[in-house]
Amino acid sequence: MATESQRSLVGDVLAGTRRILASAKHRVGITEDQNNLMGFAFVAPNILVFSAFLLGPVLYAFYISFQEWSILAGAGTWVGLTNYVEVLRPLPLAYTGNGLTWRPEVLTSPSANLWWYALKNTFVYAIGTVPLQIFGGLAVALMLDKRVRFKKTYRAAYFMPVMLSGAASAVMWRWFLAGDGVINSVLPTFLEHNWAGDPGTALGGVMLMAVWGGIGSNMIFFLAGLQNIPEELYEAARIDGASAWHRFRHVTWPSLGNTNFFVFVMAIISAFQVFGIALVFSEGGPVYATTTTVLLIYQRAFEEGAFGEGAAMAFLLFILIFSFSYYQYRYRDETEVDY
Amino acid sequence: MARSNYEYPGYERSGAGYWTKTTLLYVLVTAGALWMTLPFWWTLTTSLSASPTAATVSFIPAEFTLDNFLTLWRRPDILLVRWFVNTVIFAVTVTAFNLTFDSLAGYALAKVDFWGRDKLFLGFISTMMIPGMVTLIPVYLILVELGWINTYQGLIAPLVAQPLGIFLLRQHFKSLPSALGDAAKIDGCNEFQTFYKIYLPLAKPALATLGIFTFMGAWNNFQWPLIIANDNEMYTLPIALFAVRNQYFAEWGLMMAAALIIVAPVIVAFLAAQNYFIRGMSLSGMKG
Repeated sequence: MATESQRSLVGDVLAGTRRILASAKHRVGITEDQNNLMGFAFVAPNILVFSAFLLGPVLYAFYISFQEWSILAGAGTWVGLTNYVEVLRPLPLAYTGNGLTWRPEVLTSPSANLWWYALKNTFVYAIGTVPLQIFGGLAVALMLDKRVRFKKTYRAAYFMPVMLSGAASAVMWRWFLAGDGVINSVLPTFLEHNWAGDPGTALGGVMLMAVWGGIGSNMIFFLAGLQNIPEELYEAARIDGASAWHRFRHVTWPSLGNTNFFVFVMAIISAFQVFGIALVFSEGGPVYATTTTVLLIYQRAFEEGAFGEGAAMAFLLFILIFSFSYYQYRYRDETEVDY
Repeated sequence: MARSNYEYPGYERSGAGYWTKTTLLYVLVTAGALWMTLPFWWTLTTSLSASPTAATVSFIPAEFTLDNFLTLWRRPDILLVRWFVNTVIFAVTVTAFNLTFDSLAGYALAKVDFWGRDKLFLGFISTMMIPGMVTLIPVYLILVELGWINTYQGLIAPLVAQPLGIFLLRQHFKSLPSALGDAAKIDGCNEFQTFYKIYLPLAKPALATLGIFTFMGAWNNFQWPLIIANDNEMYTLPIALFAVRNQYFAEWGLMMAAALIIVAPVIVAFLAAQNYFIRGMSLSGMKG
């Protein structure tokens, strides 16, 4: 049997706890009118999936990147920074007795260091494809946003490559660009060339395929963006006598600000991760000409079993993509135009 | 024809300049469309040719035959039906999970007020920056431990939610008026009923857009099945194509027939949802 004083003690403790909880809630910003239980129940499946397959693995990958992994044992041994050093050396920029020296052969020859060579391939790919995909997509969207006959048919035609699997697209273009392929049969004889088999042109083939496949999806994004620009802006510009170019430069382009940002960031992020088309097109060859960064990571980790080194490379790529996205985000905040 | 020249000076719809411009526009648009579609035509003609070489195949099939398709059907090492079924199971399940999880989260992040909501949303979005390759290695090792390599659950589980879907649906739910939910709650709906009965039906265009994107992404996904499905029986179509390509490298007619089989279902799915598509895109907060 609890006495009167014991009962009041329990009451005091409960009241005190409640007060402490309330003040803690207040301090972190939880208020009475929030629906925390329901809110978290709705996002719980996603939190679970993201923790299990995204955030957890990122930490695990970071750990693996400091290990020499053995597939047979299913475990690794700690090797510190060895993987990173192995991947990065020799650097294209070296410090010798008389200052910093540039060593171009690290970037131009696959035999010096495959990471830098693959990174160079990836940059060439990104610089060559992203602007064409974006401005191609924008140009098509501008043309098809106008009153064009058979608009739907045209849009479907431009969207067809987007529906195609990268693997299928790579097999198709491999045939078109082969020595006895279809492209050569429509080219004049003096231009005939084994496009896919020559180290000098193979990456160009992959890029051509990527531009072909990328224009349609950007067209869709730009068409959606164009629909959201109020017609009144164009009317006002026309009344002021603005030419077509000025209407584009001062109405369309600034109004597409968010679409531009989204399309550009997504295009760069996916260009830095180009993998499947390069693998199926030519398996990184000939002579590493189409070995991109992610393809190299795949080969190291899953074909050679060097998971530690693969994880280290993947992290270096992560840092690259993260810095780029962060820079873009900051830059956007300063120039954003709101109508 | 709703606009007259009188209303908008500088918007001429007649005269030599207008016709030159219009002709140029059509020439450009048609040339681009040909560039986009000609490769499909070449693929078709090659797949219908008996012995395709560049000289014989370019615009019409040489020695018309269906042999390439029949061979894909008949060769014992080509499990066409099995691969097709695998891909359907994979793509449909992934799409169903994504639509469910992403609409739940998208709704909560847009319409339910709870602690840390906006930070959580930012967290979801920033996971888009993580390259697939970073998680590929550890997730593979985890699934090896679980014994999920070469299983459907291994193929599907890591892909059941995606940040882009959450983003798209959150933007869409945000654009719907909150008064609808308030009214439903006064009438006695709880939060889930408000979501399920009021807001979800209004999100159909956005769901159709996300659905077809996710389906296409899973159907064509290469990176993940390449790692998880390394047994002939568990291949999805793109992986099977890669494997078949390595085996029958120069049999272009066969390859092109296989490529067409992969793209056909996606074209059908797209045409079925096409009307929702661009509308859904512009409703999903891709505001200029």
